[in-house]
Amino acid sequence: MRPPSTALLRAFSPIWRTESLPWTARGCLAQQTAPFSSAEQRMAREKGRLKTDMRITVIRYHMKHPLTPRPLRFSRNRALRHWTIHRAWRLYQSKLRQSRQLELERQYNSMASACEALRLIDSHGLTAEERSRLGEPEVSEGGREVGRLYRIAMRKDEVWKGVPIEYAKIQTDSPPRDGWNHAWTK
Amino acid sequence: MALQEVTKAFLRRFKAPQVSSQRVWASQRRHASTETGLPETEELEESSFLQGEGPAQHEIERFDPAGVAKRRNRKLPPSRYRFRSPRYYRGPLHPHQPPKPSEPSSREFAPGPFSLPRLEQTYHDTLASDFMTMAYAHYPPGFSPPQKGERLRSWVGDSPYFKNRPRRGPRGGDTLRLLRKRVTFRNLPRLERVTLHTMSSDAIDNPGALHVAGMVLQAITSVRAEAHKVTKSLAPFGLRAGMYLSLTCELRGEDMYHFLSKLVDVVMPKIKDWPGVKGSSGDSSGNIGLGLRAADVALFPEVEVNYDMYPPKLIPGCHIVIHTTATTDTDARLLLTQVGIPFYGKLVG
Repeated sequence: MRPPSTALLRAFSPIWRTESLPWTARGCLAQQTAPFSSAEQRMAREKGRLKTDMRITVIRYHMKHPLTPRPLRFSRNRALRHWTIHRAWRLYQSKLRQSRQLELERQYNSMASACEALRLIDSHGLTAEERSRLGEPEVSEGGREVGRLYRIAMRKDEVWKGVPIEYAKIQTDSPPRDGWNHAWTK
Repeated sequence: MALQEVTKAFLRRFKAPQVSSQRVWASQRRHASTETGLPETEELEESSFLQGEGPAQHEIERFDPAGVAKRRNRKLPPSRYRFRSPRYYRGPLHPHQPPKPSEPSSREFAPGPFSLPRLEQTYHDTLASDFMTMAYAHYPPGFSPPQKGERLRSWVGDSPYFKNRPRRGPRGGDTLRLLRKRVTFRNLPRLERVTLHTMSSDAIDNPGALHVAGMVLQAITSVRAEAHKVTKSLAPFGLRAGMYLSLTCELRGEDMYHFLSKLVDVVMPKIKDWPGVKGSSGDSSGNIGLGLRAADVALFPEVEVNYDMYPPKLIPGCHIVIHTTATTDTDARLLLTQVGIPFYGKLVG
């Protein structure tokens, strides 16, 4: 890549110049034609030398971090405003966290009570206590009758293999009507 | 009659019994520190901000800060003086201490967050509760799981040298695996951080490769890459200790969620003939790693739109380690499949 041309700059420079410039500055008005350093030319002439890709030079230029910016200094009102907003944000976050935690706790407890109920009932939906109250014949506690649904619910086969890939969709504001294109092939 | 009784009894089953639930979930009890009954504001100082009913009508009408400032004929003392954060931390005993990172006057202050990542929202709305349901294990009331033996066995015997001897290492190796606790609503695994790592051997002769790699990583993660030295010389590969050859980026929070959703939604579907992450990947403590080749890294939208900016041969591949708070790989893998990362082969761990 060549260095950018200065032709445009020259085109917009004024045609007529006052001669009131100090004589030391007159030389600057002429365009610099010769390179300031001969190193560049000599490096270009060398055969075995690897040329640096201009893109790498550009990347280096942009990666070179400027000095760390000085810390922000707020005036009185802005600092107070910032402090208030920050406190409010933290409060909001903690409430959000709390409510999420409580919601999960609620779900967990209802799951637990459902499982406990399933564990105790037999195939007719009766616990041992209710059977005796209704005068039904006893069913042995360890038998296959009691808690069959519970045992089915507790089975974990295929659970640790993960969810089907159709499940794993990040939620969107406007999901498509047909959720998954099953007909898609490469 | 009997039928009604049956129906009622059936319905009653689905209510939580008072006493037994207390006993069962004693381990899940809230403690004083996390008590939610009292509003927190009661413990705070008296403040009109919290308890007051707001200004009265005449006060609202009288409120005119601009007019007051105009009518004021004396100058307020300048508010230009602010605490200046010291440039270097000189230890806890130094009188000049830096402010908290949340204060804008701190040198570590970083504004944000600027977005609410969709993946994070999905996690809190869907993935967490679904994980809890899938991994639920029921402990009936009165059940306590069987106690396992000591993790680090003590030395038993008559030898006098066994006294005060350090405990024996774990069975079958010298790593003490993490314990897996029962999954409850308190310890659901979540995404903690993501580490990107790349090492370019091109950088041995051409340090430009490292700069390009750093730029690519910075573009796809929006986090500045950190360069690492080679620690040990290896003559056959031309490595000398002290050369900078590798880069890492550590992503947390917002950046992490954005990166993962890009990876899952944009990049992974475009990788050609990719079976997924290997099922045996992971360090058996809940961190799963995967690798992307250079061609795959070029699929990131940030690189793709500006592909000509990078010398194509120098775009690096990278390793991605996803750290979760799960303590086993199985749990972590379940979470990651929920996020949308496919796994293939035998699932180990």
